[in-house]
Amino acid sequence: MLKMKNINKVYQTEKVQTHALRDFSLDVEEGEFIAVTGPSGSGKTTFLNIAGMLEPFTKGQYLLDDVDVGTLSDNQRADLRNQKIGFIFQGFNLIPDLNLYENVEVPLRYRGIKSAERKRRIENCLEKVGLASRAKHLPQQLSGGQQQRVAIARALAGEPRFLLADEPTGNLDSLMARQVMELLEDINREGATIIMVTHDAELARRAPRNIQVVDGQLADFTLYQSRPSGVVTPANVAVEA
Amino acid sequence: MLEIKPIFNAMRRSKVGAFMLLIQIAITTAIVSNAAFIIYDRLQYLQQETGYPEDEIFHFAVLTFGKDRNLSQQFEETETTLRNLPGVINAAAIQEVPLSGSGSASSFGINPTTEQGREGLEVTAAYTFGDEHAIDTLGVKIIAGRNFEQDEVIVAENNDVMPNVSIVSQSFLDEIYPNGDGLGQTIYLGDMPMTIVGVVDKMKGPWLRASIADNFLIIPFVSADNFQRMVVRTEASQRAAVMRQIEDTLLAEYDKRVIVGLQGLDESKREYNASDILMLRMLVVLITVLVLITALGIFGLTVFNINKRTRQIGTRRALGARKSDIVRYFIVENSMICIAGLLIGSIAAVYMGQALLELYSLPALDHNYVAITAAFVFVVSILSVLIPANRAAKISPSVATRSI
Ligand SMILES: Nc1ncnc2c1ncn2[C@@H]1O[C@H](COP(=O)(O)OP(=O)(O)OP(=O)(O)O)[C@@H](O)[C@H]1O
Ligand SMILES: [Mg+2]
Repeated sequence: MLKMKNINKVYQTEKVQTHALRDFSLDVEEGEFIAVTGPSGSGKTTFLNIAGMLEPFTKGQYLLDDVDVGTLSDNQRADLRNQKIGFIFQGFNLIPDLNLYENVEVPLRYRGIKSAERKRRIENCLEKVGLASRAKHLPQQLSGGQQQRVAIARALAGEPRFLLADEPTGNLDSLMARQVMELLEDINREGATIIMVTHDAELARRAPRNIQVVDGQLADFTLYQSRPSGVVTPANVAVEA
Repeated sequence: MLEIKPIFNAMRRSKVGAFMLLIQIAITTAIVSNAAFIIYDRLQYLQQETGYPEDEIFHFAVLTFGKDRNLSQQFEETETTLRNLPGVINAAAIQEVPLSGSGSASSFGINPTTEQGREGLEVTAAYTFGDEHAIDTLGVKIIAGRNFEQDEVIVAENNDVMPNVSIVSQSFLDEIYPNGDGLGQTIYLGDMPMTIVGVVDKMKGPWLRASIADNFLIIPFVSADNFQRMVVRTEASQRAAVMRQIEDTLLAEYDKRVIVGLQGLDESKREYNASDILMLRMLVVLITVLVLITALGIFGLTVFNINKRTRQIGTRRALGARKSDIVRYFIVENSMICIAGLLIGSIAAVYMGQALLELYSLPALDHNYVAITAAFVFVVSILSVLIPANRAAKISPSVATRSI
């Protein structure tokens, strides 16, 4: 469903030119669960942002469901994000002035879904993440793990086929991180394609496919997906390569 | 898709800024609508028809110190000299200048004053002495009756012989002879009888603010005095040029006299109305400042909200908000505050109008002014929010992942 071919991304600031992605190519099939690892500053977030159409790329071709993203207008990209993609952020990015119900409602309103249908979906998704009883709470009244689960509910409410998560467990302790991971695995089993950036090697290992971004380029770990746990980590393979 | 409910809920949860703005909008609406109404009222007053072509008329006084002149002839010679100047339409001797703020007033009756007082109707009016050229020189129109005959004009050094005719303003006539049969009737200044021979549709007296501003009489009398006031009417475009040569021309004719108080009629009126004009300017400044402060307040609050919500805006964009949704969010948010403020402000405006009415006997506030002001403040608020809101719409959705 996602095809990137020779994607380049150059950040041009006053003095420095950062080549965040170099000839980055990747194919993702429907239903995959991919963990993206790599050193800090290697371009993982850049890749995810481009995949999610949050920022433009400098060169190359990106097809999402056979649609050439490079030719879309800003509004078309916004609509596509709304319909196809669910985002989960490291900092949760819940809207502090809205309660949980209203937070989950945000993408549904942008899609113009009717109020009764919104209600059904919101309650459904909050149920799924185990927070239905707290719909009227504000984000600040929740723990980090709970907030991330609300963010996941918000990402799910639009029933996206594609979930993008940038270090979704980065701000959580390991117990909460595991809960979030389990939730993502459930969602993946139900059919959504997931790309998750993580620094947590243990979580990455649980994903069926690992890719590593090093210096804006890709190292693919599909071959190692059936490895005995703990023997080969993406990091030390990269060193061998 | 107007997200009124969630925007309202969000606002309820962080309400201080919104509340301050609401109060500011309310105060602005209340003050601006009253100030605008007072401005309108004063403008009506300042721009009212006086009956005179003010920009064609000027006046001055001749103070004669030479003893070798026949003062009862001098004014006519002066008039003739003036009429011979190019651009001059007419000139007249006059005792008091209308609109200037200085003049004479008295009560006039349909019966003479006797030792027992006066019987019957009495009406207060301002009056001036002038000659038979006064009507034409002042540029007013006689709508009934006639002008003075030359021999009706009394020129004298004392009050032994007084005129027995007068020309009056319609307004005065209607008051003293309410049945409409005043022309040709007699009125009394004290016990001095005068027949009303002419009626002028409109000529304001010396005091525009006074309740008797419309009651004005001209009495055909010239006091042969060493102080003689003259009025002159010119082509409007020539007035300045004529005024410049007055002194030289008159002194060349006879130099044992001085010309004082040379001034256009419009200028005299402006001096009389100086306090009104000052108040008007102050109110305009007040309104401008208030509206600017409110606009800045809205601008500032929006900028503040946008800066505070950069990440939220990026997140909304990531979740599918179009740029126009972001702009709309801020417009709806601002409009809700604004409409609440306008409602409160409109009610406050009405109460304030009533208070002003009682305290300063201003005319009753026309409620259209409240409505127009509210509409205006609303438009200003939308414009003030548009600039920052458009900037907000340009926030990249990538800040959702970039800013932690
Ligand atoms: N807006 C930007 N302007 C300039 N340079 C940028 C910008 N965003 C990212 N970069 C640069 O691009 C490179 C890749 O950044 P990116 O955020 O993709 O790394 P990352 O792999 O997500 O790192 P981390 O693991 O620390 O989150 C970095 O060198 C970074 O400094
Ligand atoms: Mg990153």
